[in-house]
Amino acid sequence: MYAAATSVALVGGEARPVRVEAHVGRQSEAFKLSGLPDTAVREAKDRVRAAVASAGIRFPNRTVTVNLAPADLPKGGTDYDLPIALGILAASKEIPPLREAVVVGELALDGAVRPGSNAFGAGVLSARQNVPCLVASSVVGESASIPGARAYGVDSLAAAVDLLREGLGNVEPAEPGPPIVGEKVPDLADIRGQPMARRALEVAAAGGHHLLMHGPPGSGKTMLARRIIGILPPLEIEHAVETAMLWAAAGRRRGLVVTPPFRSPHHTASKAALVGGGSGNPVPGEVSLAHRGVLFLDELAEFPRSHLDTLRQPLEEGVVSVARRGSSLDFPASFQLLAATNPCPCGFYGDGRRPCDCRPAILGRYRSRISGPLIDRFDLIVRVGRVEAAEYSGPAGEASAPIACRVEHAREAQLRRGQINRYLDLGDGRESQPAGRLVAMAVGNGVLTARGGDRVRRVARTIADLEEADQVEEHHMAEAIGLRGEWRDE
Amino acid sequence: MNDVRVMAPDGPDYPMGLLDLEDPPHLYVIGETTTAPAVAVVGTRRCTRYGLNLADAFGHGLSRAGWTTVSGLARGIDAAAHRGTLRGEGSAVAVLGSGVDVVYPIENADLYRAILRSGGAILSEYPPGTRPDRWRFPARNRIIAGISSAVVVVEAGEKGGALITARLAAELGRPVFVVPGDIDRPASIGCNRLIRDGAHPVLGADDLLAELELILGKPPNHVPPSEGVIPATGLAFDDLPSIWECTPAEALARLARMEIAGEARRVGDLVLPGSG
Repeated sequence: MYAAATSVALVGGEARPVRVEAHVGRQSEAFKLSGLPDTAVREAKDRVRAAVASAGIRFPNRTVTVNLAPADLPKGGTDYDLPIALGILAASKEIPPLREAVVVGELALDGAVRPGSNAFGAGVLSARQNVPCLVASSVVGESASIPGARAYGVDSLAAAVDLLREGLGNVEPAEPGPPIVGEKVPDLADIRGQPMARRALEVAAAGGHHLLMHGPPGSGKTMLARRIIGILPPLEIEHAVETAMLWAAAGRRRGLVVTPPFRSPHHTASKAALVGGGSGNPVPGEVSLAHRGVLFLDELAEFPRSHLDTLRQPLEEGVVSVARRGSSLDFPASFQLLAATNPCPCGFYGDGRRPCDCRPAILGRYRSRISGPLIDRFDLIVRVGRVEAAEYSGPAGEASAPIACRVEHAREAQLRRGQINRYLDLGDGRESQPAGRLVAMAVGNGVLTARGGDRVRRVARTIADLEEADQVEEHHMAEAIGLRGEWRDE
Repeated sequence: MNDVRVMAPDGPDYPMGLLDLEDPPHLYVIGETTTAPAVAVVGTRRCTRYGLNLADAFGHGLSRAGWTTVSGLARGIDAAAHRGTLRGEGSAVAVLGSGVDVVYPIENADLYRAILRSGGAILSEYPPGTRPDRWRFPARNRIIAGISSAVVVVEAGEKGGALITARLAAELGRPVFVVPGDIDRPASIGCNRLIRDGAHPVLGADDLLAELELILGKPPNHVPPSEGVIPATGLAFDDLPSIWECTPAEALARLARMEIAGEARRVGDLVLPGSG
């Protein structure tokens, strides 16, 4: 007596089908599980047996064999509890065959169905293969939010059995869940003074540009960075799903959250934590958790150089390849890079008020850590100065809401061209002649490097979009050049 | 590098205020002196962040309004007052207790040069080469008091040079302004006593400017920085929009054009004139 169910594994943040085959034989009682299960999956045996008993159904006292296929795909987590249970019940004729339905969910010993981590993956497979999917009712809105998915929620194994006995065709699938706005983020109104840094943050948000802020400790670089989330446009539903699936692959739950992710790894984070990896099934790293959002590297100069070098591929291609037993696996990692650094080890280099007391050799070494290739990846480089005592009591800064409104307008213009300006094809920039001449002059006399010139031209397009200008004019280009201040190795 | 001049009490450009002293000394000078009325900003070397911020704010406010400021190039309050003055593109005068060519403390060497670059002056009654002996400093304070039309004490402990300057200024009939502080804070004990003894408390740079105008009249006319030209002392990057009276976006664009033309360069918080 044989039956099968379909479930989901996440590979590189992408949903792949897993066949759950169940066979109930004639030999004496035993329960075997094969197909590269990890410990959590192996323990499913005990949970399934208890949950079936709790649902008031007889667990077959025969040889039960469960196989997860394809066998070469490593399988982990507790999402296979429900498909294993339903596969066994189908094989022992307690319920009708499952056909193609995708099933995901963890079982509690009392038979309750817990969400597990792959509700989005179930929805994606359901839509792609035009089959129904069965998940915990607490997350059915997530599965149903995928266009084309037919999702059914159950809160217990008994409810799943009833539903399947009734036939999925006779029941209406669930409605898509409402998008979730993440926790409230601090407002830019809290920041007094800092006119230049505020402008840089707005332009960076509008074009999705990479921004480096440098300045003495306590000048508010981190405060500014954390507030970018409040002025970025919310994620499209499909992008929110993409991000949530990457989080799921890393073993973290993120519902249908449309607030862009903001990740801020510490400089002591390992390379695997940063870009992904790990033994067995590779897990996405911070660069992928920040997919469609912001990766903030505070104290940039403290990050090991070799770690920073690994950011090159995701910054250029929007994906990161993680080595994996003879092959490599790609995780999406299209993030906006924000970074902050002190200008020198003591922090006061270039500060008008307090002398820097770093020895020249140390100063040079520190500043050259953020040099050449790395500095060229930033579209905007801005000095964040100390706020004058008088400004602490000055008027509050502009609030986030009106800035977010301008940013959203600028994004609309970019999406009509097809992509955000971070990835702008420079041929599409529509530059006026004076604008082109200005940037050529800046490169010619060393104010900008050649690569810096390309970055500036993308930023100029964003500034034009903020002004709703069709063509990049000279003053847009000039401001973009002004927003890419020097960072010399001295 | 800079010529040292000597000014005698009977000379034409000798500061008038010093003639109020019992023994007007000969003065050694580097840089430009003016006869415009000046305001001294003095205080202790053992100051707090509170004092540093206010000394800087007073130096800045006074120089923006058009006053020349005087201080002693010492650590702490003195240095902050000088720096604030330079930031405000004003004229700074430093009165030393050593020879005018002897920089003490050495950490203020940059400040010493910045004062000269900005068109300020270094004064002393001691001949060039004189070492900074401790006993010379109280005598230097009577020059600060004499040369100034008013004295502001930002922070002062129980005793110290700033209190001597304040007493001498009061004896010469100069108004003495004092910044109040917490009554149990060592760096404010002297200040609070001066207030108890009748000095004017000041509640900020604007308050000080208003009081000065009442007592001394309008400051000598201040010439605002001309458009597009960056003074040798530089402008603070974040102040550009307010100085140029434009939006941050316009200020960034203008700065970029000046950088490309070689008329400006950024160094830390400052924008300096081009090196060429």
